[in-house]
Formats: sequence, C-alpha cells, structure tokens
Amino acid sequence: MNRNDMLRKAGLTLPFLGAVLVAYTTAQPVPTDSAQIGAQIVAQGTARGAVACSRCHGFDGAADGSGAFPKLAGQSPEYLEKQMRVYASGERKNALMEPIAKRLSESEIQAVAQYYASLRANSFAAKPQTSELIARGEQIAKVGDLSLRVQACESCHGPNGFGEPPAVPYLAGQYRQYTSLQIQMYRRGYRKSDQMKDPAQNLRDEDVAAVAAYFEQVSRPASK
Amino acid sequence: MPQKLKEVDVVVIGVGFAGSILAKELAAAGLNVVGLERGRDRHTVPDWQVPAIHDELKYSIRKGMMQNVAKEAMTFRNHHKEVALPMRQWEAFLPGTGLGGCSVHWNGQTYRFQVADFIYKTHIEQRYGKKILDPELRIQDWGVTYQELEPHFDRFEYLLGVCGKAGNLNGQIQEGGNPFEGPRSREYPNPPMKEQYAGALFRKAAVEMGYHPFIQPSANMTRPYTNPEGITMNPCVYCGFCERYGCEHGAKASAQTVVLPVLMKNPKFELRAESQVLRINLDSTGKKATGVSYMDAQGREFEQPASLVLLTAFALNDVRMLLLSGIGKPYDPVTEKGVVGRNYTYQTLSHVWAFMNEDVHLNSYMGAGSSGTLIDDFSGDNFDHSSLGFIGGCFIACGTTHARPIEFHPTPTGTPRWGAKWKDAVRRHYNHTALLLLSGSSVASRRNYLDLDPTYRDAWGLPLLRMTFDFPDNDLRMSRYITRKAGEIARRMSAKSVSEEPRTGPFTTTAYQSTHNTGGAVMGTDPATSVVNRYCQSWDVPNVFVVGACNHPQNPTYNPTGTLGALIYWTADALKTRYLKNPGPLA
Repeated sequence: MNRNDMLRKAGLTLPFLGAVLVAYTTAQPVPTDSAQIGAQIVAQGTARGAVACSRCHGFDGAADGSGAFPKLAGQSPEYLEKQMRVYASGERKNALMEPIAKRLSESEIQAVAQYYASLRANSFAAKPQTSELIARGEQIAKVGDLSLRVQACESCHGPNGFGEPPAVPYLAGQYRQYTSLQIQMYRRGYRKSDQMKDPAQNLRDEDVAAVAAYFEQVSRPASK
Repeated sequence: MPQKLKEVDVVVIGVGFAGSILAKELAAAGLNVVGLERGRDRHTVPDWQVPAIHDELKYSIRKGMMQNVAKEAMTFRNHHKEVALPMRQWEAFLPGTGLGGCSVHWNGQTYRFQVADFIYKTHIEQRYGKKILDPELRIQDWGVTYQELEPHFDRFEYLLGVCGKAGNLNGQIQEGGNPFEGPRSREYPNPPMKEQYAGALFRKAAVEMGYHPFIQPSANMTRPYTNPEGITMNPCVYCGFCERYGCEHGAKASAQTVVLPVLMKNPKFELRAESQVLRINLDSTGKKATGVSYMDAQGREFEQPASLVLLTAFALNDVRMLLLSGIGKPYDPVTEKGVVGRNYTYQTLSHVWAFMNEDVHLNSYMGAGSSGTLIDDFSGDNFDHSSLGFIGGCFIACGTTHARPIEFHPTPTGTPRWGAKWKDAVRRHYNHTALLLLSGSSVASRRNYLDLDPTYRDAWGLPLLRMTFDFPDNDLRMSRYITRKAGEIARRMSAKSVSEEPRTGPFTTTAYQSTHNTGGAVMGTDPATSVVNRYCQSWDVPNVFVVGACNHPQNPTYNPTGTLGALIYWTADALKTRYLKNPGPLA
C-alpha cells in the first residue's frame, strides 16, 4: 500500500490535503468535520501555537524513520488521546510534547487522535538485526523470563504485539529506538504506569534492546 | 523393591499454598525440606501465557488445571445406604493439581471467618439454646479463637497483598468497610478493587434498604505490591480470567507469586514434582511416622524417610491420605464412632439473576475473580435466627467474576434451552444481566462424611475416596430465606425480571457449585470429635501435621482460603516455637 492509498483509505487524498493547505493560507476556512480538523492540525498546527504534528510524525503517521519519534498510524485513538492529556498535565514528561499538548483543546486532541488512528501506514524497513537478538526479544515478548520475573509483553500488548485497544498500544512495527527509550522512561519515572513499572525495572538493558528490536520487525496487518 | 532415600527433616505432601508456605518457613529455620507434588512444576512464566491461557474450552469446560480423573477420581452418593459411583468428570467442585495447587486457579476472594464462627457451638447455644439445632446437626468449636488467629490472618493477608477496606480496626467501625467483620489490627495492605457497574447498582439498592455494602476483599492486586518476602506482584487488568486459569500478569496471589520464588532459591528445599504419594509410613507402634512412600512419573517407587510429615494436599486428599495410611480411626455414621472423615461440609450456594432493561449496559466481562460488591447483613449469625428455624447464613454478592462467552449466557426462567429463541434471549440479556451470588454456610451433619470406597481404585491400585453428602434441611431452609432477601434487592435494582434460584436438594455432582470442600480432618480439643489438635497436629501420630480446609469443624459463610491461611501461619508458629524444640504432642 503506498501513501496515496493510505490517505484515501482515511478519506483523504493528496489533492485534498493540498487544497486544505492552500485554503488555510488564503481564506482560513474553519472545517467542521472532525477528521478534517484532525488532518488540518496534523498538517499545519493550530492558531494557538501547537506546531504541526506532521513535522515529526509525518502525514502518514510513520514519522521520519529515525526512531526518535514514534509511529502513530493505526494506534488506538483512546491511547493517543490519553497520551496527549498526560503530556499536557506533565504526568508524562516530554519537553517537546508538553507545550504542544497544552495548546490543544479537548476536541482538537480527539480530532488528531482520530486522524492518526484511521491511517494504515507501513514503517520504513527495519534495520536487519542478528537472529540471536530477535530470538531473545521474541522469547521475552511471547513467553517472558522467569529468572527476571518478567511476564510476556504480549499478555497485555496482544498477540504479536498488535495492541489491545482501547487502553494498550501496539508495539509491532514500532521503532526500536522509541520502544527502548520508553522502557527507560518507565524505569526512571518519566512515564508512569502500574503495569509497566515492574517489567521496566526487571528487564536488563540487553533485554530491552532485544525486545524492542523484535517488535520493530513484526509487520502489522495491512487493514483492520 | 522401593528405593530407600536418605532421611530428611521434613516431607511436605502437596505443594500448594499451605505446603509452600510451611516449607518456606521450615527451610528458612534451617531444616532440610522435601516437597512432593503429584502434579507438574509450573510457573507464571512460561506456563500461563496469552492467548493460550485464555482458552475457555481447555480450562473451564475441560478443566485443564484439575486432578486427572482418569487416574484419580472419587466416588459419590447422597446417603450411606446407597452405592457410590465414581465421578467421571469434575463439575460440582474442582480439585486442582500441580505446583501451587488451587492457589493458581482460584478467584482470590480472601475473607476472615467471624469471631463467632470459631466458637460456633458455644455461641449458638448461648444465644438460642440447644433446641434451635436439628437432631442430625453436629456443630462444635474449633479449639482456636479469632483473637488467637488475628496476627496470622494479618500475616497471610500481607503475604498475599489482599486488597480491601477495613470495616473494624481494633474495635472501631470504619466507614466503607464491612462493619460485621472481626476486629483487625491494621488496614488491608492494598486499597479495594474497582466497583463494577452491577455492583454500583446493587450498592445503591442495598443502602436504600438499610444494608451495609462493601467491596469484596481480593487477592487480585489493585496496584504494584511488594510483599514481606520481597516479591512484587503487578496490578490486575480486570480481564475476567481468574477462576480456573493461571494469571499471566502475576497479578493474582498464588504460591507462585507470593512465596515460591523465595522457597525455590533456598538450597534447604527440594521440590520433587510428579511424585504421587502412596501413604505415610508408620513404625511398628503406629504412633510415629517414619516418612512417606511415593511413586515418580516413571513408576519407580521410593521411600523417603523423614522426622516430620506435613499433609497439605487439599482437604479431600488430606482425608484420603490419612485413611490410606491408617492414621486416626475412620468415622462410622451409624455408631458415630471414629473421627477421620467426620464433619465433612461444603458451601450452600444459590443465585438470583436480575434481568435489566436493554439500556443498562453492565459490561460484566470487565471483571476480576474478586471485584464484587457485597453485604454481610445475612452472614453467619449477623441476624437474629430465633424465630427463623435454622442457623447459618449467606453473604450476598453482586458483580460477576467473568462473563466468558462459553460459560456466561444468562436467560430468564422459561427460556428454551436451545434453538433460535435461546439465541435471541442470550443476545438480549448477555450484557444486561446482574448476578447476585449467595455463598452460604454448611452445617455438619452426622450423615455426611468421607471414607474409602470399597470397590473402586485409582491408577496406583489404592481405594478412591468416597463422599457421602446431602444438604442438611437446615441449610436448605437457610438458603430459601436469604435467597428471597436477595431477590428483594434485585427488584430494588429496577430489574425487569428476577429469577431466584435457592439451593434445593439433593446435592448433585453434575453442576458447578463450589470447591469449598471442608472438614473431614477437623481440629478441636477433644480427640473423640477431632482428628487434629488445636495446632493441626494429629492426635494419633504427633509427627504428622494436617493443614487444610479439612480442619474446619463446619463451614461458615465465606470462602475458606483466608482462614486456611491463618491456620497455616498458626501451625508454622507452633512448629517453629514449640514443636522443633521439643518434638511431641503440643496439646
């Protein structure tokens, strides 16, 4: 599926987005449909100063492939909304996202979440990893590790890490750098979750790298 | 020829909650302990993983975690003049097997029995006189009091991380807790679970009717909890797969999540799984155990000598092992002589279904084994029985432990059992039906007991346990009365229609009721009416201790595990502070 297909699936086309861009800079129309509002914020940001989400996360929610920014396409909308709220409240600490989330209204948060949730993007190709690393990651993901007292990631994140919406995000296809950073964040208290606290503490750094690399190379289904 | 092994200090028969906690305490005290477990060695990782662990067909319908009935069944009859037949599948109750025992697949409902429950005979006769008792009933005191057990209740609850709100702290009644409970020395280790919507509707109705609702105490965690053994549990996600399942999150207290990680690291302890104990061996006097004989998975027989034997193999198996080993005199229902198998009791369960309007979405699939809202107003002797003609009571709980698709499809009375009309009714009612569950006391009767079956044998050639049980009339009258009270609450919840299902006789083993099989090796102060003394020590063979719900002289209202937990620590304390210093009879 190419990028145009993906956008069409979400009810959007490049010409449409282009039209929005042009219209915004000239006549400043106010879209009323939530999906259009979401698309507009993603493309351009808001008048209150929230910068365009697409700058880092892309129009297609695949981000830039660097792994510094997470893939959002097809993520649970409730999960995305909650993250923007906890960025705004400061419960999830992030210097980039906090000011942006604070400038979004509740309806804008919902619109952006709906927009990214509706997309089905492929990631950039995962960097090949050693089979030992992937095998170790798969073991933690699917079985857990008794000696570390870590249960399988898939117990909550669903079979193959496809997520358990609404509450639990997918991990499959997510950039390994992002996933490992988040585990570090849980460990150090920059992100808070009763469920993630103990596993994040118990996983060693090499296990974190393995599990993040494993999930990165799992493909998510192309459509719902 | 059995191979004779090197003598150890302690042999534990059955490594569930009781076995693993006692083994941990004694191994930590420096004794060499061998744990013999007939089932598999199993742990959260790798044995309970999604999606396989949520296989309802395997675990709920085919009873994947239970004792293998093809190898080791039991026989049943209602009355001692009938011929008992073997059960070919478990339905009414579900004896577990494997490391951790029933603690792996329980719901986590963790109660304390009440102050009066431990002095039941004294209490009932003082309040009502002897005439309130039907002639067939055989109630007695435990020989141990609530006050003596309180520190041990506390210790067990902190081991498990039980979640709840105290209703009585050192005699002071607390807002939001159960005002009828015995005094606690401190608050629960963790806050109570989230209330289900059905529970909230029940709470509102109950308050309006003057009752005292509170949230069920739960061994499913409400937050990350590190217990006094240093083991951390994770919070429950309310997936609705507790009872009959292992918890993949490590959120439910089980031997695996609260004590085994410490026990298994102690070099003084050795686990031998898939080891079927055949008997406890006695010396020529019959007054001293020399160890046990067991068979491993390859069919090799071993003799394991030991100076102390702990029998912790689940209530029914404990009684059978005593009978197979010739420890204590078997009970005879005609002469009422003998004690082993006497006072076998159960739990008197009943239900009320509240069928709500279609705009009331209960979402009961978001549940946990112990997330109900309940009232204790009709439990035990919390209400005046003088004009009622029965003793005992029920708690009334609302909130489902699960709404799993194969098992949960409530339909109103009169709905066809199959076909298009049944399907329509399931669709209509699945998400709009609240269950009020009544867990009721079971009073001991002279007619109900356990012994060895004269005909049927297990895969090792040993006689099966035979259960002779029917509900005493007293308990059926009790169930009728309180089920009607629960029906009133259901109507107050604005249910469109209500189905009341009080318990009716005869007892049948073909429909699930409860695995609260209790009694049969009861504790007490008189060897003529008890198998073990007040320290759970055999009267006849003092180096054998029997710890399980088989110790309960009769079964009060509640799930027995919390009280069993107190007895485990009570016994551990007696062993460590008295028995080990001077082995011999403690009472």
